[in-house]
Amino acid sequence: MELNISPIIHFFTNEGVPIETIILLLMLPIIATFIAFLRQVVGIKAFGIYTPLIITFAFLATNGLRYGVAIFLAVIFIGMLMRFVMKPFRLLYLPRVAIMLTIVSLTILVMLVLGGNQRRTGLASVSIFPILIMITLVEKFVAVQIEKGNKTALILAFETLIISIFGFYIASWKPLIEILIGYPWLILLTIPMNIVIGKWTGLRISEYFRFRHIIKQL
Amino acid sequence: MRSTICEYSMFEFFKNSRKLLGMNSRNLEFIRPFNRAKAKRLADNKMRSKRVLKKNGISVSKLIATIKTIEDLENFDWQKLPNSFALKPNRGFGGEGIVVVYGKKKGRDDAWVKADRSLITIEDLVSHIRNILDGSFSLSNTPDFAFFEERLQLLKLFKPYSYKGIPDIRVIVFNKIPVMAMLRLPTKESGGKANLHQGAIGVGIDLATGVTTTAIQNNRLIEKIPGTQLSTSGLRIPYWKDILFLATKAQEISGLGYLGADIAIDKENGPTILELNARPGLAIQVANLAGLAERLKRVSGIKIKTVEKGVRVGMDLFGGEIEEELEEISGRKVIGTVEKVKITGKNGKEVEVEARIDTGAGISAISKELAIELGFDEAVRYWEEFNLDKVLSEEEIQKLSANKTWKELEKHPDIVGVAKTYSAHGATYRIEIKVSLLIDNLAVLSKLSISNRSGLAYPILIGRRDLNKFLIDVKK
Repeated sequence: MELNISPIIHFFTNEGVPIETIILLLMLPIIATFIAFLRQVVGIKAFGIYTPLIITFAFLATNGLRYGVAIFLAVIFIGMLMRFVMKPFRLLYLPRVAIMLTIVSLTILVMLVLGGNQRRTGLASVSIFPILIMITLVEKFVAVQIEKGNKTALILAFETLIISIFGFYIASWKPLIEILIGYPWLILLTIPMNIVIGKWTGLRISEYFRFRHIIKQL
Repeated sequence: MRSTICEYSMFEFFKNSRKLLGMNSRNLEFIRPFNRAKAKRLADNKMRSKRVLKKNGISVSKLIATIKTIEDLENFDWQKLPNSFALKPNRGFGGEGIVVVYGKKKGRDDAWVKADRSLITIEDLVSHIRNILDGSFSLSNTPDFAFFEERLQLLKLFKPYSYKGIPDIRVIVFNKIPVMAMLRLPTKESGGKANLHQGAIGVGIDLATGVTTTAIQNNRLIEKIPGTQLSTSGLRIPYWKDILFLATKAQEISGLGYLGADIAIDKENGPTILELNARPGLAIQVANLAGLAERLKRVSGIKIKTVEKGVRVGMDLFGGEIEEELEEISGRKVIGTVEKVKITGKNGKEVEVEARIDTGAGISAISKELAIELGFDEAVRYWEEFNLDKVLSEEEIQKLSANKTWKELEKHPDIVGVAKTYSAHGATYRIEIKVSLLIDNLAVLSKLSISNRSGLAYPILIGRRDLNKFLIDVKK
């Protein structure tokens, strides 16, 4: 099957921009719109828009989804664990996060070594960039943990994970990539879509669920 | 057949759901247009909103001390703290970072007792305040102040209903009209905090009467306080109108068009504003089994000039009609033309006398002797100094009014007003005092005018102004 490539994409690649980078940049508004839709219409909060977005890209950059998810879960697990470990020390915020980051990086290092040892070369060869992104998750997680408690932080982390996994599948969906290469202008449609989402005043799906018992009695 | 029922209820479901306020609508249609950044900043700053409210004559809990820097903390004189107090972060939210102590530990100078009977020492407080200053409890972790304020005293009425902490009342006010209210009861699960998502109970309130209706805990309807046989409905909240008034007044002062006011009732000072909320939550709808969207729609666009009017409109629009009707029909007591009345005067002095019920008189009157007996001797003497204790002519009264004598009279703290009476026997210029009357077991807060009733059979006469709650049977 002949791949339909838009002239502007041709122009970009001829100027030396790698095609992977172009696809990632074109995917970004779509994933961002998807996250905005999930928040305003469905009611999934996650850690804002930036964190799930960048985690999606971290997943895309690791060799396969499962290593990304493994690192993600490790980060959250350590965040939980360290809260209990550090509680008696009563440290101020930044030093506390610094210690947590230290433990997280060491753990990931151990994971990579173990991965190499078990001949899971895929894990060991994950590039440093997505790992760093994942580590920044710690601060987000700790901030929510302090403000809203463990339970909320866990729920939001779980939502972030789910969104990022969906985002991963959207961004690596072949037909969508082909459409974007053929008609890159289509991404401008996300702007009117976001205007509609941004003006949406109806109940979120999660709110229908939350209020389901009382709706019948109004 | 089945499918039509199903479709019908789906239709009903979506139709009903439009009465509810959701996050999107709250943010876009109410908070954004009506809560300006400046007003929001005021609400988020507890100390400043306290100051602004107080300046406008609104009751807030008294500030004891503030700690703004580490130096303040190091130089703080811990012995100046009273036995009970609340320590709060200035920009805290959701009740986080608040410490309440109930008394000093016996025999110790450096430790207080918390609600759960655990001790908190000066050392613990220092470390907690450090965390506050560092921003651990503030919005987006920015550095913060800590402050101490007087602890509010739990009302006896609420004691069986709340676990340790103090319950509070959230009132949503929009467009100078109170639209919905909820009583929040601290539970064991919520650790004595009146915070719904920590497990406190939210109880809906009928806006007209201040009587509780339905209740929720953890988003589920409940009928009894867990672990007790106490019903969550039917509790009459005291000072109800004052509470609505306070919330509405706070909206006017703060400039927050869409406000959630948190009010607690102090044993001594009555309704007191705890804090103002620029982004009030949606759970109040579940507690009341009522939708905010529908109510907000009904009040938007109504022009309200005064706070009193707004409160009245809110009570009329959002009160249960059934209860009101019941009160109309059976709530009024029937009394005779002479009734035994218990009067509570100054310093709790109580006297029981027979009173003349007189629908021919507008205002109520009390004899000088009885007023003195009730502790108003100073007020009576002050009045007598003006030499007004007699029958006057109409010209004299007009002169008194022109001279603004009433202003002089009202300078005395016990004198709450001045009444002019005209009758066939001549005119009088009387002072009024405030007392509480118990007529047939119904309390009436009354202003009594003091008059010379020597030679009359009854030392007190109750006029129309104090008889709203009664029907008079002349044969009784």
